[in-house]
Amino acid sequence: MCWPTVRVVEVTVNDSYLYAIILLMPLTAFMVIFQANPYHALVIRGILGAVSALVYAVLGAADVALTEALVGTMLAITLYAIAVRSSLVLRLGILREDEPEAENLDLKRLIADLHSITSKKHLRLELVPYEDRHALQQALWKKEIHATCSRLCQPEEARYETTIRVEYLYEILKTELSSPITSLSYLNLPTLEEKH
Amino acid sequence: MNLILIATIAALVIPMYEAAQDNDIWQKMLAFSSIATKASIVILIVSVLRDDWMIGVVGVIILSVGNAALMLLAQILKRLNEL
Amino acid sequence: MIDILGYTCIVIGIAFWFWGTWPLIGDRSVLFKLHSLSVADTLGSMSIILGLLLKLPSEWPLLILALISLAIWNTVLGYVLAYCSSSGGDRER
Repeated sequence: MCWPTVRVVEVTVNDSYLYAIILLMPLTAFMVIFQANPYHALVIRGILGAVSALVYAVLGAADVALTEALVGTMLAITLYAIAVRSSLVLRLGILREDEPEAENLDLKRLIADLHSITSKKHLRLELVPYEDRHALQQALWKKEIHATCSRLCQPEEARYETTIRVEYLYEILKTELSSPITSLSYLNLPTLEEKH
Repeated sequence: MNLILIATIAALVIPMYEAAQDNDIWQKMLAFSSIATKASIVILIVSVLRDDWMIGVVGVIILSVGNAALMLLAQILKRLNEL
Repeated sequence: MIDILGYTCIVIGIAFWFWGTWPLIGDRSVLFKLHSLSVADTLGSMSIILGLLLKLPSEWPLLILALISLAIWNTVLGYVLAYCSSSGGDRER
């Protein structure tokens, strides 16, 4: 057992497998770059972590390999998964009285449309039910939710109105959503001093 | 011994190809678990080949810790699908 | 003699690896792939480590530890992955 030995790895003809192992690292790195879905990219980042730990260990840097496996793969991926999960979300506030049930076909279809759009952009759609219109407005003003969707008081050809306070979400939905059930509007909220 | 290493690296490439082409996240997770185990086994083979105790320790630690990371990630992804 | 035995073990392990990894490429369900992967991969890896142990007995504590952690972790991991993927998949459908 010889602990702190410094080894200089010399690549000779005998060590030709080294080239094959090192070649794996840029391969997986390109796989990470060309991945569109953030969760898939995270899993492939894990593969990159395993491969780079292998490369570091084979080249003789045992400490770097250990750090890569513990921090770079385990900690970073777990934290990133939590961060991506809580940030890539569209929180839509609805009234509890018209929660999507079997008889409320309009809202059900609307929610399905929204779901297909958000999943195309890798967003999650989260429905937050509120008791009455006042609580819904309050939640939008306090920035607890990104958008509200409620039944109009005097129905015209659109029976629901959707109000969005995030500009780029509004841009996306304006181009993608072609449902006649709802009208879309953008609400520009002033930036609040206090944090919620 | 070199031939054996080349063969193991070839076995390592198969799940990587699978992870690149498949679109289901659980198939990717399977490929990830396969790669994590195989990479640590390759580290162990290299450590035996060079008679290097230090690399061997790292290989064993990666073998046991990499699996724990996989389980954590699997749990988080499962919660993700529930919402 | 022991050297030859070690090499045989390693080659058998690599054959198991290829056998277990090949179904990954196909278009089968996750559970089918998980089954072949967990059985053949774990057995192959254990056989490789056994071969390494025969080749270099001086590193036995490390290799025995690797053998044990491989046997325990991979079975647990198989169960966890199957549980997570099946319950997650039910919600999606």
